Amino acid sequence: MDQLLQHGLNALMLGGTYALLGIGLTLIFGIMKVVNFTHGELYAFGAYMMYALVMLLGVSFFVALPLAIALGVALGALLELVLLRRLRAADIDTTMLVMIGAWIALQNAEQLAWTGVAKSISTPFPAAPLVIGPVSVAWNRVFVLVIALILIFVAYLVINRTKLGRAMRATFQDRDTAALMGVRIGNIHTATFALGSGLAAAAGALLGPVFVAYPSMGDLAAAKAFAVVILGGLGSIPGATLGGFILALVEELGAGYVSSGYRDAMGFLLIIVILLFRPTGLFARKERVG
Amino acid sequence: MKAAATAAFVVVLASVPLWLDNAYFLHVLIVTGIFIIAAMSLNLLLGYAGQLSLGHVAFFGIGAYASALVSLGFKLTFPFEIEVQAKPVWLAMLMGMLAAGASGWFIGRIAFKVRGAYFVIVSISFVEVVRLVAVNWVELTQGPMALNNIPPLEVWGITFLRKPANYWLVLGVAIASYVLIRRLVCSRAGRAMVALAENEPLATSVGIDVTRYLVLAAVVSATMAGAAGALYAHYVRIVDPDVFLFIYTVTMVIMVITGGKGTLAGPVVGGLIFGLLPEGLRAAAIAPEAQWIVYGLLMVLVVYFLPRGIVPAFTKIRG
Amino acid sequence: MNFGWKAIAAAFAASLVAGSVGAQEPIKIGVTQPLTGAFAASGNYVAQGAKIAEEAINKQGGVLGRKIQLVIEDNKSNPTEAVATAEKLISKDKVPVLMGAWSSTLTLAVMPKLMEYQVPMVVETSSSGKITTSGNPYIFRISPTSEMEAKAFVPMVKKFNIKKADFLATNNDFGLGASQEFSKMLKENGVQVGVVETMDPKATDFSAQLAKIKASGGDTLFVTTAVEQATLILRQAKEQQLKARIITTGGSVSPDQLIAQAGAAANGSYHLVFFTPWFPDAVKNPDIAKKFVGEWTARKYEVGGLTEGFRGWDAVHTIVEAIKHAGKAEPKAIQDALWHVKVKGINGDIAFIKQGPAGKESAQNVPSVYVVRIDNGKVVRN
Repeated sequence: MDQLLQHGLNALMLGGTYALLGIGLTLIFGIMKVVNFTHGELYAFGAYMMYALVMLLGVSFFVALPLAIALGVALGALLELVLLRRLRAADIDTTMLVMIGAWIALQNAEQLAWTGVAKSISTPFPAAPLVIGPVSVAWNRVFVLVIALILIFVAYLVINRTKLGRAMRATFQDRDTAALMGVRIGNIHTATFALGSGLAAAAGALLGPVFVAYPSMGDLAAAKAFAVVILGGLGSIPGATLGGFILALVEELGAGYVSSGYRDAMGFLLIIVILLFRPTGLFARKERVG
Repeated sequence: MKAAATAAFVVVLASVPLWLDNAYFLHVLIVTGIFIIAAMSLNLLLGYAGQLSLGHVAFFGIGAYASALVSLGFKLTFPFEIEVQAKPVWLAMLMGMLAAGASGWFIGRIAFKVRGAYFVIVSISFVEVVRLVAVNWVELTQGPMALNNIPPLEVWGITFLRKPANYWLVLGVAIASYVLIRRLVCSRAGRAMVALAENEPLATSVGIDVTRYLVLAAVVSATMAGAAGALYAHYVRIVDPDVFLFIYTVTMVIMVITGGKGTLAGPVVGGLIFGLLPEGLRAAAIAPEAQWIVYGLLMVLVVYFLPRGIVPAFTKIRG
Repeated sequence: MNFGWKAIAAAFAASLVAGSVGAQEPIKIGVTQPLTGAFAASGNYVAQGAKIAEEAINKQGGVLGRKIQLVIEDNKSNPTEAVATAEKLISKDKVPVLMGAWSSTLTLAVMPKLMEYQVPMVVETSSSGKITTSGNPYIFRISPTSEMEAKAFVPMVKKFNIKKADFLATNNDFGLGASQEFSKMLKENGVQVGVVETMDPKATDFSAQLAKIKASGGDTLFVTTAVEQATLILRQAKEQQLKARIITTGGSVSPDQLIAQAGAAANGSYHLVFFTPWFPDAVKNPDIAKKFVGEWTARKYEVGGLTEGFRGWDAVHTIVEAIKHAGKAEPKAIQDALWHVKVKGINGDIAFIKQGPAGKESAQNVPSVYVVRIDNGKVVRN
């Protein structure tokens, strides 16, 4: 029973960040129809920015965090303007290839800048874990969960309560009509990519100090993000949120009770199973077979 | 006229081992050739049937593993007791293609319930699951400890151990694949696939059985990729779960899209350029990370300026 | 007759120049390492160690009157590329001997090329038993197999009083091989083996595995993985309040990096290493070890890389010693000479024994294994 509780607690911590990654990607994928292979690199970027700010420049941890996220937003906007603007009329696989090229270039630039050696980021939290009965959890993980929930809520507010958000939702539902109604699609795309990238960078900035930063850290994160998108359904924020927590739970329990070697396969198996029985994901609002 | 030019091209390609003194370059050509075969098969699914499959390396790897296992012989106790003695390599290669084709059928039936973004993600998930099976099912695949000492192909007394022999083998299979795809694309089934890619609801309304043609494309595509995998297994002579690395799928996708998806020559042109490029960059003596960065940037640039690919751009200039 | 004398003098002078120019041609040594990709950190350390060796040897005049030149190729942590690098080094650069390829799968991929071209290779890091038992007489491995490492650990079993041990290993040949060999060794020595947990080499969260290990209740946990994961395991083990004593194997886990990145969580952990830069006197050839550490720190390389970088040094020195004894820089001569070398390396004395199927044996060195402990942020002798 204790073990089960510990697994559940672990899943809670990770679920929040998976949700952040998933929300960012589902927005980009859903609104812009871009297979965003740079998502993982924004995650890594967020972590490396925390490293640079906290460890190299001596900035306070709590100031560095929003700064790192802001930098992620900026990088996302830059990528969209430089790489994707011109390709708006192109096929989904053409833009995908551009994203792949950017992914390769970014990851190797990261290695060139920081070398392949993993970097550790100090946190102001106590090293001793918080002990609740038979289970224990590190303080920095609690912090991660709290901030992740806040950011998820903020994202939800942006999408559902702001003018920008309304324009984004309109573009998602029917791009041409939205354009006819005066929505400037180009700006929406930039904003979407920047927002999605910012969320990925946030996940990286939060998890970087919990784990370590190294150049290929984004690859696994991107894979999880894709899984969450499927689980939750394309374009659905509540879906991605719940999907993030479900994925984390399935991974934890699968690793704990079935086989630890197959831990990362759990997510993928889950995707395949879901797609067999509910192709649009658990919560998609728009019917999307075909 | 065009046929004569193609024939001349083939003859020139075939003559390469006779005058090329550089063994290293010949090796690069062979490996590139194997990936071009895989790229051509991906083109069928991605270019002609319009399905963005990012799991193609799964079929490549399954073909490689199946062929390697049959040629080495294996023994299983779980889930059921089975022992297979080592079989001649040509039979193993056929088994490899069969296994790949069967998985193509299987994943086709599942995956084609969805389209677009969902399909992309399903295809990625499929590869990951297959890779993790290869890593964890140690009894069958040796897991990360790799299958090595794989025998080379031996047929009619010729052992395909040296490079020229392997070069001609790969070239032969590549030509056969090209011809096969050409016939398929120009046939009724091929036209149905293209119709699907262009406008699925319309195609369905005209009575085209979507699933049937997509699954057909998947099976042919997978079998061909499996053949490429089998060639790889018996040339490099070691297979481990790294054969499912995402970078190989990326390589194939790059070849197809930069070359020009939906064209016959596209994967060949894209394959030659992006297959040989890394070696050219290696010779440029810049830092390894910088080589990758240049590679990534070049990809982006090609697609930026020639969004339909190199071959369509060429035919546009000429036509 | 004047001009005859001048002609002879000119010819003599010309031959001197020609002779010395010919003698200046450096002896090339091929190096294939993962400089980019998943193993980039380690590959670069090994390459750095090799380059320090190159400079040291050339400063002392090289070998056979010629300088040595390392031709270093990046195998991108990928077996297909490893094959390409071997092909390039052998057929294009015409190196008479190779060193590489870091991980076992990369080395296994290169092995058929060695047979094809009959060129020897010194293996500096790979641990899979398969490498020396596949019937490839061109392999000369100086790093230990997991089996050897496990055997070297036997005296410590009693010393630590291990009753029940669990395993946490990364899911590749390195981790699985080690957990298999150590399990076997422990069972042979009367120790109970608990759970054997694995993880993907890219995983960063081990909470599930650690929860299971905690539940298993062993007094010792053997961890075999790369240093990044080891750092995270130590931290997370502390978070989950794991009481077991942690021992890392494989020699690639740099205790310095662990101290720097895991902080207090690293205290109390033990590590099997093949080089002890913190107390060079512990190794067989302390002068060489000290010199190497000096050169490394002078170049401001990562201190954490010493435990891997030394492999490059030892490999290059082994090769050069063989070239010296062979008398010429030719593959067959070097291969024969390698069997007879005795090199004073950083790890210890290097010499090769036969291993593998009769008639096609590979060469294996029997290296020294050291156990160190981290105590209060410092590395101490055990």
